[in-house]
Amino acid sequence: MENNPLSPHIQIYNWHISSLVSISHRITGIINVMTITFICIWVGLLLLGETNYEIIKFFLNSLFGKFILIGIIWSFSFQILSEIRHFFLDLGYGFEIKTTKITGLIVIIGSFPLTIIFYMFGRYIL
Amino acid sequence: MVQLNLPQNSKVNKGKYFKDKTGSKNIRRINVYRWDPTTGENPRIDTYEVDMDSCPSKVLDILNKIKNEIDPTLAYRRSCAHGVCGSCAMNMGGKNGLACTKPHAEIKGDIDIYPLPHLKVKKDLIGDLSGLYKQYQSIEPWLKNNSKSETTEIFQSKEDRAKLDGAYECIMCACCSTSCPSYWWNGDKYLGPAVLLQAYRWIMDSRDEDRKERLQKVADELKLYRCHTILNCTSACPKGLNPAKAIAEIKKMLATA
Repeated sequence: MENNPLSPHIQIYNWHISSLVSISHRITGIINVMTITFICIWVGLLLLGETNYEIIKFFLNSLFGKFILIGIIWSFSFQILSEIRHFFLDLGYGFEIKTTKITGLIVIIGSFPLTIIFYMFGRYIL
Repeated sequence: MVQLNLPQNSKVNKGKYFKDKTGSKNIRRINVYRWDPTTGENPRIDTYEVDMDSCPSKVLDILNKIKNEIDPTLAYRRSCAHGVCGSCAMNMGGKNGLACTKPHAEIKGDIDIYPLPHLKVKKDLIGDLSGLYKQYQSIEPWLKNNSKSETTEIFQSKEDRAKLDGAYECIMCACCSTSCPSYWWNGDKYLGPAVLLQAYRWIMDSRDEDRKERLQKVADELKLYRCHTILNCTSACPKGLNPAKAIAEIKKMLATA
């Protein structure tokens, strides 16, 4: 069996909503950990003086910076909704194919309005 | 380790094209994964034009038609043709299922037929499932009851029997396990949905007295907790069972025990 080929797997298998949410959950999780590290460094830079802080603030207010910022907010929004879904899955609810499709769609679609809400909240209220 | 690309000897090439000879107007193209162990060549995709006017409704009927009328060298497993034996499990149109119960009308466009994903191929559509059977053996899928003598009947209430519904119907076709990305990357250690569903079936059996040991045995970072609720298993199961839920129940039992 050494030389026998391996049958195709991820190359041919259809994506389902549930598998898409699952892999996105992992990717956004990694992004979020990096983001939190970044925020810690940013706060740490305060100790070293105002200018360091200003540089990053300047970057985040640029167009590219805003793009990154909104991406990060989306990543958090997605993770929050997906985590709620996982919470119910861990309790043993929502395993029927139809339910997983609906909750998966809620997570994917819902993450966008949540992003806008978080962004607006940060911009105009905080 | 996650290996997204296929190894060099598994890269799939374009194969032969079998043109329709019947002159029928109702033709479908069927792309079938082929690999011949005697030649030492890479796998290839052969394309068959099949006359659908004289073809019954299931994917297995197409394969039978190809083997009987077009290309007798095609190899695949099949036995009961009624969704009971689980022999004809394969990947059709990008999703695992039983060829004998999958209507070809449900697949749009050309029909792609591959063996079950991420298995060592023995020939054409036949994958090697010996690893999965070894894992099945490891959960000791038989009744363990020490207190009663072998001659007396072990009673089970209707309620206790009902707990096995949705678990005992499994035919071990391996559609679920081979649809699971986690099983692709860690198939040597992670038990996979099919075997875990059976583990659950024996844990839940009221007549079995080995419940604690069984639970302890699967309570392992790799054996059980590699399930990340991707839920490919549940959507692939041709018998409409829910291995993902069974795994979640095992996790719950371990968390609350």
